Amino acid sequence: MTLEVKELTGGYGQVSVLKKETFTVESGQVVGLIGLNGAGKSTTIKHIIGLLTPRGGQILIDGISLHDDVEKYRKKIAYVPEMPILYPELTLREHIDLTIMAYDLDHDKTWENANQLLKTFRLDNKLDWFPQNFSKGMKQKVMIVCAFMTDASLFIIDEPFTGLDPLAVNDLLNIVEAKRKAGCSVLMSTHVLATVQNHADKFVLINHGQVRADGTLDQLKTKFNMNADSNLDDIYIKMSNEDL
Amino acid sequence: MLQLWNERLRRHQLNQFKYLRLIFNDNFVLAFIVLIGALGFWYSNLLGTIHQQLTFGKPIVIVLLFLVVQAGGIATLLEEPDSTFLLVKEKEFYKYFRAAKNYSSFLPVVTVALANFLLSAFASRGAGLHILDIVLIAIGLIVFKLGFLNINLLELYGQAKIGSLGMRLVSNLIVLVSLILSTYLFSAVMIIVAVVYYFFLNARVKTLETSGQLQWDYAIETENQRMFRVKRFYNLFTDVPGVTSKIKRRKWLDWVFKPIKEVSGNTYLYLFARGFVRNNEYIGLFLRLTIIQAIMLALIDNFYISLIVEMLFIYLVGFQLKPYFKEVMQNLMQRLYPISGKTKIADFTKLSTIILAIQWVISALAILYKFGFSMNSLIIIVAGLAVLIFVNYFYMPRQLKKYLD
Repeated sequence: MTLEVKELTGGYGQVSVLKKETFTVESGQVVGLIGLNGAGKSTTIKHIIGLLTPRGGQILIDGISLHDDVEKYRKKIAYVPEMPILYPELTLREHIDLTIMAYDLDHDKTWENANQLLKTFRLDNKLDWFPQNFSKGMKQKVMIVCAFMTDASLFIIDEPFTGLDPLAVNDLLNIVEAKRKAGCSVLMSTHVLATVQNHADKFVLINHGQVRADGTLDQLKTKFNMNADSNLDDIYIKMSNEDL
Repeated sequence: MLQLWNERLRRHQLNQFKYLRLIFNDNFVLAFIVLIGALGFWYSNLLGTIHQQLTFGKPIVIVLLFLVVQAGGIATLLEEPDSTFLLVKEKEFYKYFRAAKNYSSFLPVVTVALANFLLSAFASRGAGLHILDIVLIAIGLIVFKLGFLNINLLELYGQAKIGSLGMRLVSNLIVLVSLILSTYLFSAVMIIVAVVYYFFLNARVKTLETSGQLQWDYAIETENQRMFRVKRFYNLFTDVPGVTSKIKRRKWLDWVFKPIKEVSGNTYLYLFARGFVRNNEYIGLFLRLTIIQAIMLALIDNFYISLIVEMLFIYLVGFQLKPYFKEVMQNLMQRLYPISGKTKIADFTKLSTIILAIQWVISALAILYKFGFSMNSLIIIVAGLAVLIFVNYFYMPRQLKKYLD
């Protein structure tokens, strides 16, 4: 699986938030999408999953764009939004069934995955609950279960760590790691730099809708002329200060 | 404070006006006129059958008037942030609430007057009341209602109690006893009691200005609930942001979903069917309209009115289901599913066909009950079927398309 974002320009309405963004996510890579509030992280993600249409440039997954084959493109992606979005009228069990139907997945095999994930996130005894009974963190876990039980090859997670308890953060990182080992790719946007620094292979730094820099931590250090013991926080602050 | 009230009132009225304009669209006005016409027709027929005073005439008048007096309360237009931002202004809120009460008096007074007017025909024929009695009771009720509104104010300050009894309860007892006395014995009782009651409560309210302590949480919660009820009503006809209807599990209805096979093509049918059954708003709408239609068809023996009722109500249920499709389409996650818009619309049409078919069968039974196996029955039933087909195969697919993105 390869995700290629080439010279992506776009945004909401007439305003272009993103200006010629280019970066790639390779097979078996975990990539952190990093930037200030309003830098364009979520907008980039919305373009990739196809909720927004690019004004310029291209987004390709394994060489095909959304325009080439909508269903094929969409089946490759699993997405966990920043704010959980659930159907108020469906129970947790029915959310899983619905996702299986929507993505035309193998019923028994997917349920096996799902049960494992539900157990990990301590939701296995809440299968008959409605979303209105879940706390915000639990809803987020439901979104994670529904995304990671599929056989997608690109997982896109928007701000996964806020609102999750520390145990759940740890569980999520293990699941991400397992997917990476299985050859899938993960793109996650976050502000929790210390966590992402230890778990991502590569970082894409976005500022004012443009890719300021991308690469491994070492590559970034060189690009920003930082010394060897500096971390992602230092780089981030240096990037933010460039505007001043 | 008065300025705050006026500003809020202006904004509130603008909002109400916006929704009312949306409600009174062509479809609704048509349905409304037919409904009023049918009810008026039924009422005048009913009056025609009454030739002497009925035993239950007076009790019916008493119960109806008692219920009408309950209608309406004070709209305070309080907002959630008030309890933080305006906490320091608490003393001055008394003036604000007085203005709110004055504004909120209008609608209940009109309601009471109108109800008395409509009921007067029955009251004179069926309950044997003289026209002067009816007028006296009506005026008494209006004065009483004006006093009754003060209880809302006292409640905001947690002072609506006489000893350990709630004032609401006491007031209701007073109005009930006065109604009984004035219909059976002497009609001026209502007015006399109401005037005394009015002055007593007004005096009580005046003490709030100096010694009242506003119950913020209660006041804001009450206003929120009131707004919610209003918006839920509007939501029956148009989309109101911020109104989420109640969801109930209804496990005992799970057998309904059994025939829906869990295959990819049925994804949306699976979702829509559960949403329709569990979301109080849509199942409630269907039940209400279907029951009203069946009752009307079973009562009215005019061919043309029955024909219109049959066609209109089937169209209305179909029309009112559309917002549910829109609601689901606004869910971001479903837009990512690898499923085409055509399938979504087809699945929704399947659901609406089933719903309207159930309604059609029920209405057909009501028609057969009234008209028997006749040509008239056949024409009405076939007309209903024609509307059903029109809604599901021509109207829906076109209308739903615009909600897809």
